[in-house]
Parts: sequence; C-alpha cells; structure tokens
Amino acid sequence: MTLLAKALIRDHRKRPWNILFSILGVALGVAIVVAVDIANSSASRAFEMSLETVTGRATHQVLGGPAGLDETLYAQLRRQGFRESAPVVEGHVQTRGETFTLLGLEPFAEAPFRDYADGIRGEGVSALVTDVDAVMLSARTAARLDLESGDRFTLSIRGREETVTLRSVLDTDEPGLDGIMLADIAHAQVLLQRLGQLDRIDLILPDDQALERLRTLLPEGAEVMATQSRNEATLQMSRAFHINLTAMSLLALLVGTFLIYNTMIFSVLRRRRLLATLRMQGMTGAELFRLVMTEALLVGLVGSVLGLLAGTLIGQFLLQMVTRTVSDMYFVLTVTELHLTLWVVLKGLLLGIAATLAAALGPAWEAARISPRDALSRSTLERGVGRLMPWLIGAGLILMGLGWILVQWPSQSLLLGFAALFLLILGYALLIPPALLMLARSLTGPMGATFGAVGRLSARGVSAGMSRAGPATAALALAVSATIGVGVMVESFRTTVDVWLGQTLQSDVYVSAPGRSGVGVNPTLPDDARSRVEALEAVETVSTARRVHVHSPQGTVEVMAVDPAPRTPEGYRYRAGDGATAWQALENQDAVLISEPLAWRLSLGLNDTLTLRTDRGPREFTIVGVVQEYGSDRGLVTVHRALYDRYWDDPGVASLGIYLRDGIALDPALEDIRAAVADLEAPVLVTASGEIREMSMDIFDRTFAITHILRLLTVGVAFIGILSALMALQMERSKENAVLRATGVTPGELGGMVALQSGLLGLAAGLLAMPLGLLMSQVLIEVINLRSFGWSMQHDVSPRVLMEGLWLALLAALLAGIYPGLRMARARPAEHLREE
Amino acid sequence: MMIRRWSVVGVTLLTVLWLMGCGEGQPDREDDTLAVSQALGGDDMEGYARAVEPREFRFPQDHVAHPEYRNEWWYVTGNLDDAEGRRFGFQITFFRFALSPTPPESESTWATNQGWMAHLAVTDVNGDRHRALERFSRGAAGLAGAELDPFRVWLDDWELGAEAGNDFPWRLVAAEGDLALDLRLEPLKDKVFQGDRGLSQKSPEPGNASYYFSMTRLDTEGTLSLGGREYSVSGLSWMDREWSTSVLGESQVGWDWFSLQLDDGHDVMVYELRLEDGGVDPLSKGLWVEPDSQHQVIPHDAFELQVLRTWTSPAGSTYPVAWRLRLLEQERDLEIRAVREDQEMDLTVRYWEGAVDVFEAGEPAGRGFVEMTAY
Repeated sequence: MTLLAKALIRDHRKRPWNILFSILGVALGVAIVVAVDIANSSASRAFEMSLETVTGRATHQVLGGPAGLDETLYAQLRRQGFRESAPVVEGHVQTRGETFTLLGLEPFAEAPFRDYADGIRGEGVSALVTDVDAVMLSARTAARLDLESGDRFTLSIRGREETVTLRSVLDTDEPGLDGIMLADIAHAQVLLQRLGQLDRIDLILPDDQALERLRTLLPEGAEVMATQSRNEATLQMSRAFHINLTAMSLLALLVGTFLIYNTMIFSVLRRRRLLATLRMQGMTGAELFRLVMTEALLVGLVGSVLGLLAGTLIGQFLLQMVTRTVSDMYFVLTVTELHLTLWVVLKGLLLGIAATLAAALGPAWEAARISPRDALSRSTLERGVGRLMPWLIGAGLILMGLGWILVQWPSQSLLLGFAALFLLILGYALLIPPALLMLARSLTGPMGATFGAVGRLSARGVSAGMSRAGPATAALALAVSATIGVGVMVESFRTTVDVWLGQTLQSDVYVSAPGRSGVGVNPTLPDDARSRVEALEAVETVSTARRVHVHSPQGTVEVMAVDPAPRTPEGYRYRAGDGATAWQALENQDAVLISEPLAWRLSLGLNDTLTLRTDRGPREFTIVGVVQEYGSDRGLVTVHRALYDRYWDDPGVASLGIYLRDGIALDPALEDIRAAVADLEAPVLVTASGEIREMSMDIFDRTFAITHILRLLTVGVAFIGILSALMALQMERSKENAVLRATGVTPGELGGMVALQSGLLGLAAGLLAMPLGLLMSQVLIEVINLRSFGWSMQHDVSPRVLMEGLWLALLAALLAGIYPGLRMARARPAEHLREE
Repeated sequence: MMIRRWSVVGVTLLTVLWLMGCGEGQPDREDDTLAVSQALGGDDMEGYARAVEPREFRFPQDHVAHPEYRNEWWYVTGNLDDAEGRRFGFQITFFRFALSPTPPESESTWATNQGWMAHLAVTDVNGDRHRALERFSRGAAGLAGAELDPFRVWLDDWELGAEAGNDFPWRLVAAEGDLALDLRLEPLKDKVFQGDRGLSQKSPEPGNASYYFSMTRLDTEGTLSLGGREYSVSGLSWMDREWSTSVLGESQVGWDWFSLQLDDGHDVMVYELRLEDGGVDPLSKGLWVEPDSQHQVIPHDAFELQVLRTWTSPAGSTYPVAWRLRLLEQERDLEIRAVREDQEMDLTVRYWEGAVDVFEAGEPAGRGFVEMTAY
C-alpha cells in the first residue's frame, strides 16, 4: 500500500461521513434501478413461464370466436389426421385469496404437449378423469395453499362456490405451474360452465402444408395462430407499463449520479490541502487523477454491491405491487420467485460504477489541476466554477434544445420519447447552478435587509460555495421536479379518468355477470335477467353490453357490443367523428367506434376500416368515431348490438345498464333489483354506478401506488444528497464560523445562519423544480403517455402538487441542515481555530 | 386367447397413465410385470361386473362395449398377399379399459370412465421392416368407442365397422403416415365360443375369467399402402372378442399364443401360460375348429409345444421364433416359423406379435399369428 493510499484512508477515518454518504448515494440509486428491474423481470418471467406451461410444446392454437369453439371440431380434426392436438378449456378461479388459471385438459392427448404431468403415477390421473370434483396442483402450490392430496376446498368461480378435491399433487418444481390448477376437460367444462365449448385446440404442426390444410377445415370464426406470436402479443400487453417503470428507476439513478458527483467533488475540495501537499511531495497531476478515480471506483463498487442487496429487498416489495397492477390491468399473474439474473446484477453494478466514474470525472480533473499553491485558498476553484457557468448555460440550452427537437420529432417510439425527456431533464439540471448563483446574488440584498448580517452571510455563503451547493441543489431540484412532473401527470390522468367515468356511467344501476377475465370466454347473464329487471316499476329503460375478444389481422382486439338505451350515446366523448350521426351508422351500417388507444396503436382514424374476424368470416368495418375510453389500454371497439348479432353467434349479454324513472330513489330501487335477480340460476352483481366509479378509481390509485413509491425513493436519494452537501458546506466552513463566533456571533445566530442557508438552497431547489416539473408533466402526458397508450388527457396542474414539491424541497433542506446547524452552534471556536 | 390381451390391457391401463406422465416413458420389464400383477391383484376390481358363469350371448349387442367390465378388446390379425405374391401380415386391436366402475355424473360430453388404446402393425414380409403404431384416447366426445346402427368400433380415424347395419361384411380402415389399410372382412365360419360356452376360465378363482368368442376365418380383401405404394391384397384374418374384469393368477408371468389357419380348412388356437418358476400353467389350453365350425377344446395335456429357435430383439428381449406343435388327439405335427424375426411391438407395452408360416412334414400347411409377452 502506498503512502498515498494510507494518507487517504487516514483522512477517511477522520471524516467517515463523507465517504459513507457517497456510498449510500450510489447504493440507493442502484437499489432503485435493480429493484424495478427485478420486479419487472420477475413479473415478465413468471408470466412467460406460465404461458409456456399453459401452451406447452404447441406450435399453433386454434381459437374460436367470442363464444369459443364448438367442441366437436376437435374430434373432426383428429379424424382428419391432426393427431398431435389437444383440446383446452380454461378460465379463472379463486381460492384462498389467490386467482388461478383452471386448465381443463384431455390427459390422453397431453403427452406431446406438456411435460409437467411428469411425476403422475397410477391412480391419480384415472381419478382426475373419473371424479367430477378432482383437480391437481403442483407440490409447491399445494404446500403454499396448505393443501394435501385428498383435501377438499372451495373454489369461487364467477360468483359461484364449488367444492373440489385435490386429487393428486404434481411432483414438480416448475414455477410456471404456480398459478395453475389442472382438471380433466370434462369437469373443467362443468366448473367453468363451458358445456359444448372449447377455448382452444393446441396443435403441433409439422409444416406449412399442414397449416394450410388445417385452415381449410376450420369453420368461419375459428382461427389458427402460431403459439409464439400469440404469447408475444400477450406479453406485449404490459410492455408499456414495464418501460414506464424502468424509466422511473433511471430517473432515480440520474438523481443518484448528481449526488455522487456532489460527494466526489466535495471529497476533492475538502482534501485540497492534502492533495496539494501530495503534489508538493512530487506526485503528478495524472497520479492524482487516477487516485480520485480509483477512489470513485471503490465507492462505486461498494455502493453498487450494497445497492444490489438493498435492491433485491426493495424489489420483492415492488414485485408485489407490479404483480397486483399487472393482474388488475392485464392478465392474472402469480409470482412466487424473484428472478435475479446475472444480467440484472451486472447491469446494476455497471450502472452504479459507470455513474460514479462519470460523476467523478470532473472532480478528478479538478484534483489533477491542483497546484501546491492552491492549497492556500479555495477561491481558485470557485473562480473556476464561476468561469464554468457560461459553459453550463450553453450546454444546458443545447441539451434542452435537442430534447425539444426530439419531442417534436414525429415518431411513435416510446424510447425516443424517454430520450427526449432525459435530454430535457439533463439540460435543465445544468442550468440550475447558474440559476442558483443568480438567485443567491440577487437575494443577498433582500436577505440582508430581512435577517441582517446573518442573512447576508447565508446568501453569500451559497454563492461562494457554488461548487457544492450547485450540484446538491440540482439533485434536489431534479428529484422534486420528478415528483411534481409525475404528480401532475397522475393527477391529470386521474381527473380525466374520473370525469370520463362520470360521463360514461350513464345508467343508475348496473347488473353484471361476475368473473370477467382475460382468459377463456367471458361469462354472460342468465337469459331472464333482462326481462325481470325490465318488469320492475322503477326501471325506465335498460341498455346491454357484452365485451368479448375478437381476432383481427392486427391481433386480438376487445369488442364491446352495446344495445343502447336512449341516453347511452351521451356517455361518449368523441376525439373524432360526429356523435349525432355515429349511432345511426352503428346500428344500420357496418360501422364501429374505436377508442383512442386502438386508434393510436393501429394508426387508424375516422373513415378508415378495421377488419375483424366474425363468425361469417373476416369483415371490414368503417370507423365512424374515435372515442375516449380509459378502461382498456389496448383499445376497445364499440359496436351496436344489432351489428354484433348480424355477424356473431353469441346471444349472451354480460351486463345491463339500468335507467331509473325520474324521482325514484336509488336505495329502494337497488333493493328491488337485487330481489328481482336474487334467484336467477347463476349469481349476478348489482352495483350502483357511483360504486363502480369508486371501485374504478381504487384500481387506478392502486396502479399508480408504485409510481408514488418510486417518487419517494427518488426524493430519498436527493435528501441524502442535500444532507451531505450541506454538511460538507458547513463543516468546511467551520473555520470561518469559528472566526465569526470569535468576533461575537452567538451560537444561536450561527445555527440560524445554517438554517437560513439550508432553507435558501431548499427554496431554490423547490422553485427551480417547478418549471422542470411542469415541463416533465407536459412531456409525460403529451409524449410518453400518448406513445405508451394513446390516451389523451386534460393537463390539470393542481397548486397542491406544486406546493407539495416546494415543501418537500424545503423540508428536505431544513432537515438536512439540522445536524450541521447543531454542530456549528455547539462548536467551540477555540478548537476550530486551533485546528489550523 | 385371452390372457394375452388381458394383461396387455392390464398393463395398458397403467402405462397410459405412465404415458401421460412421461411422454415417452418406456416401461422396462419389471414395470410390465408389476403392472400385470397389479392389474390382477384384485384390489381395484370392486364395483365391476365379473365373468362368473356362462352368459347368453346376444348379437349385435355383444359386438359393442360392455363398460361394466374392466377390459375389453376387438382383435384382428391376418395374412395377406398381393397379385404379384408380395406378402403382408397385419394386426389391429382396439382395447377398452375402464378407469372406474361407474361413469362420472356429468353433463359434459367429455365425461367418461372409459379409456381406449389401439395398436396397428404391418409386417412387409419381403420388405424392410415391421411397423407398429399405437394410439390412446378417452371414450367420449366422439373420439373413441363402439356403437351399433351401424356397428363400428373406432379410435380417431382407425375404424372397424359394418358397411351397413350391424352385420358383415365389415370394413377395416386405418392409416397413419405412409401406412394405410382398407380391408373388407367376410366370415367363412360361424363364431366359436371359447372355454365353457364362451366363459373362459383363466385361473382357478371364480370370476377370474373372461367372456370370449372368436371368428377364426374371415375372408379379407382390399388395399394396403406402404411407403407410397398401394397394393391390392387378399387373404385370411382372425378376430377375437373378449371382455373381463380379472383373470390372471399371481404366479402367471406371460404367455405364448398361437392362431393358425391350416390349408385343409381347420383352425387351431393354443396358448401356454408361463409361470414364474419357468413351468407352464395347467390351465393353458387350445381350441380345434373344423371346417364346418364344429369345435372342441384342446386340454393342456393334449398338446406339446417345443421351441426350435430364438431371436434377440434390439431392445434386448429373446423371443422364440420357431416351434414344433404336436396336437396329440388330432395327430398333427406342425412346425411353426415366424415369417420374419423382427416383429416385436416396440410400443408402450413391448411384446412380440407376428405372422407365421405353418409346415407339416416339410410342406407348407397353413399360416397364422403368434403373440408372446413378458420376455
């Protein structure tokens, strides 16, 4: 070990805070990135595995129309020689608080497809076929649910309760089975009420010839799809969500980078005397550069490793939220394993170390330039910083300009959108130190007038310590602006959705079949539900709806067939098209309404045509309107029930919208309706529209809960930044302060000065964060959100979010100022002076 | 014949489950044996009907399934030639096995307690190889089963059925890959009922028996496709129908079964049940069928079977492939030789089943089929 290293280590021992904060900063930044990465990849991996488990080795799948496939098709295909084929019935069931995919299989046809039955022996399968209540789970899942072979338990299926028996346990660790329950196809048909129907037929097709032959055998409305492309399409559904999370985590790392820069430059500044002494002893500038970089590397390494550990922990927590959101919004997901890949680890390490090294470049360069003479004063550096200001302004403006150009660039690329966002943020961050300088200078007078000498000294202290105050403020401002930007975006989104819900929920009461899900065919109401409701005196009119998945050349799209009541059309808000004529066209022509996300995703507009696979074969439909709709981020096609009945053989209705007569009170009407449908053959849900609105907003808030947490974590990173910067600032100034004390300044005044200075930095950060926050929200709403989902929303800036940001900045700064302030106040001037 | 099928079915039940478990699980010998004894263990026979006393056979009803018994099969074997003298052997079997005594109470058309398996094999005597294929299915949703009006038994597109109504002629259609059979079957003799009026006792315990009848001589013609070529073929087939719930005793390990159609119009069936200790069970027996369908049981002490030659299969089993069969009462001394050695059915259940030639005093005297299990 060199003398040099020893000198540094001794120095760090004396002042451990500095290096600890550096490490903590790196660790937090890396932790957030890794946590989000882990949560995202675990969720995706779990879903991929469960898809693989569900689809097995099938190369293709035959899928039916909205009502599923006629089950006789399977025997026909087998007789036509398609012997590597297996029928599947699937749907969602709940038990013990978890949602499972109930997979109804034909064990005799399974051998070519799904391996996980490996481990079944003897009686198990035969009982699975012959016992109507038999189901199977993997050993892991059974253990998780605390079930043993032979146990009876209750499933909740679309509001019904069914008792089943765990007939045997699959002796496999395959995590893909975690969310899957197996049953014989016959019993799955009964449990899921799918008599006569299949959800799909899995096939292994040897070549394109077989595929072509298969196509000629399929009835209209049935479609064959390559398994892989279908799985990919399913995975794509949640892609935008995952990208958005990743971007949030990168923002945290960016804030972390500022923090690292901050601590590194401080460590150089603080040791100027030491470094200058080393120069005097003959060390070259290059050696000092290497020294600082090595130190940074160590900080980066240690910080990143700690960050990895912390990230794994935070990741587990985030994973639950991601899983929840994905299950709410996209598909049922069961994740029991953290997916920690080498790639995630490497990426976290690399990001942490690279960010640290990048942040240390400036300080290292600074260290290399130190001349022995500089040891006497710090003013050269601050002069250097002063000289840097025009460059910062120039670079900042150029970056922001580039960002602005990218924003305007006509593209649908989400990544490009994020690049633009980051350029804008980075450019703005570079402008913060000059802005802070100007602010501090301009405040010197007013602060002197208000707080006297202490105020003046505080303001001067900021401008005199720019090399540290600048980056610290930038980091805090960045973090706060992120909370403002994301806050405004979420708030705008929330308001928009709330307004939309208020408008779209035209009916007073809704009656619906429980259990709508992304798998299998969605449930319908019992046939006589409508007539019973219509017979009630309180009911004026009834509209109906049925939401189904329909294949199109561009993939599966959701279609809602609406039989409107007179007021139904009022619930639509048109982005394009004419509401007055649209419903006429919907009823009488081959016309549809599409929602914004679909229009965006498929680049469709008014009067374009959309091809849908109907039970009469593929048909083209004219788009007569693009409407706002926030219920599906993949988009929704709205058709008139009359058209749906023309083209699809699916008479079921999934929900009724009930309009009460004028003057009818809601609560007694609800009771009447509940009583009317109470003894239907299957349970139905009766919900007031207000309740639906509340539940929808609950889901909305749950979806964005993870966003709030990432915001807070980012502020946490910034808080540490400002804390370390302030401590550094104050501790370095201990001599000055000691002189002040010696000249008669009281401890209280000194503490007040530190508080003022902290407050000043916080205020500056808060104020500077506002324009950036608003800019970010603008980009998030107009670019990121639009490119992710296609939703338009009204920009809704609430003063609350802005004030919260300001308070956050002030609070963080003041909290960070407490310790240095106390220290200053308590310090005895003689000691500090003696240290010289 | 009998046990043969019997234990194939017993084994099958387990191996199907095995198959479902393993995909390509190939049970080894020990598994076979285990499966046989388990199938015959008697533990899981409760609730099934048993063959305890002779029954009154009724047709066409007895052509189709008896689901209250655990096992049942439709078994057709035959020797065919084309006009240029190219010779083929074929076997097709539909096995039914109940997974439980009673069907599940369910509204689903897929619900069943019946499983089906089918084997198809063709021996191209002068060609390159013996081919054997198998299939499984549940007996529901139109996938596999047996029904009347018209009569048919099928698994997917392999089907044996009446051309019209339930009576002969029947047509056998089966194809997979480059192998296809389309044969028309017409009986040349009446049905013969094995054992005691169709009750075939397999081991001493009452109920360890099957209901069993045979159509020993079916005139057969049609087409056989192999390797992209179609052959017009004709010849003789033999069909067995048998159903039961339990048969074998614990010490019985396997059997050698012979069905021979002699050129002089006689048909012979004999089987030997091999015991664990290497001996032959005294319940082994046979049937001698006259050209006019008159028939009589050949008791164990009225025939002698001697192995002349063996062959070891690629899978490692050593099978006899040539025999001397002496029928003492009939005073016939027959030499039986496999038309080719490699006729092993290397399927989920491995056994040897193949076409044979019959010689008497060095002269060709007939043809037949032999089945051997548990080697």
